[in-house]
Amino acid sequence: MTDQEHLERGYRRLLVWYPRAFRQQNGQEILAVLMACARDGQRRPGLAQTADLIRNGLWMRLRPSVPRSAPTVRAAVRLMYAGAVVSTVNLIIVLAVLGDIKAHHAVFGHRLTAAQVSQLNTLFVTLFAVTGLVPVALWLWMARANGQGRNWARRLSTVLFGLATLELTHAAGGPGIVFGGTCSARSSPR
Amino acid sequence: MQEATFLILTALANGSQHGYGIITDVQEISGDRIRLRPGTLYTALDRLRADELIGVDREEIVDGRLRRYYRLTPAGTKRLGAEAARLQAHATAALTRLNLVGGTAT
Repeated sequence: MTDQEHLERGYRRLLVWYPRAFRQQNGQEILAVLMACARDGQRRPGLAQTADLIRNGLWMRLRPSVPRSAPTVRAAVRLMYAGAVVSTVNLIIVLAVLGDIKAHHAVFGHRLTAAQVSQLNTLFVTLFAVTGLVPVALWLWMARANGQGRNWARRLSTVLFGLATLELTHAAGGPGIVFGGTCSARSSPR
Repeated sequence: MQEATFLILTALANGSQHGYGIITDVQEISGDRIRLRPGTLYTALDRLRADELIGVDREEIVDGRLRRYYRLTPAGTKRLGAEAARLQAHATAALTRLNLVGGTAT
């Protein structure tokens, strides 16, 4: 394989980050420009070029395709992405707080064997990681679907928002199920 | 309007160009300061096409690869003209005031 073929294969692999429809329409053209920009004897996509393609490819997949004439939907989509960020922070906090739960076991779990404690810990870590990822995934999914102007997504996100609100008011009093991550981590060590 | 967008439109102002042509032209216009990366360029081109500020002029096959030439639409010409006038007004204001300050200080 020549250097050029090797480089072209690397670029082709990176273009997979773009949505299929965009790739089919513009892939050949971008590839030609990428090859024209390459240095002589270059065998691999550069770091900056790689980052640029991944970033723009992801953006193409996630960006709202709602026209500028619908600013409220665009604002809602932006807020949903903000929701995903908040949920991610929440997940990180929950996982950080798990250390406290271990301490809790040490104090109150004296009747449990070490094996049981470690089993419980594994259970909690898995449980919180999974329940923490669910809202992140939901936010991203809803932002994307709403950004594409899907009507079912509007209805579904309204229902989810209602559930999240109920969950939030509930979480203040007791352990939450999905959305009250931080609160539930503190209140359900056993 | 972002600087990159402004420069892309400027590159197309006196005739159609293909992707690589736009990159080299923007580099020249900006005095080698801005080198558009292909990923960024095509995101911008896609948005400008969606906003109907640019359109595809023609397509050619060069070395077995598709090459698209882009051109400004009338709306794009108008938009670029308005933006250039706005920037010029700001630049003139800045230069005028700097001269005044310089004049009184000496």
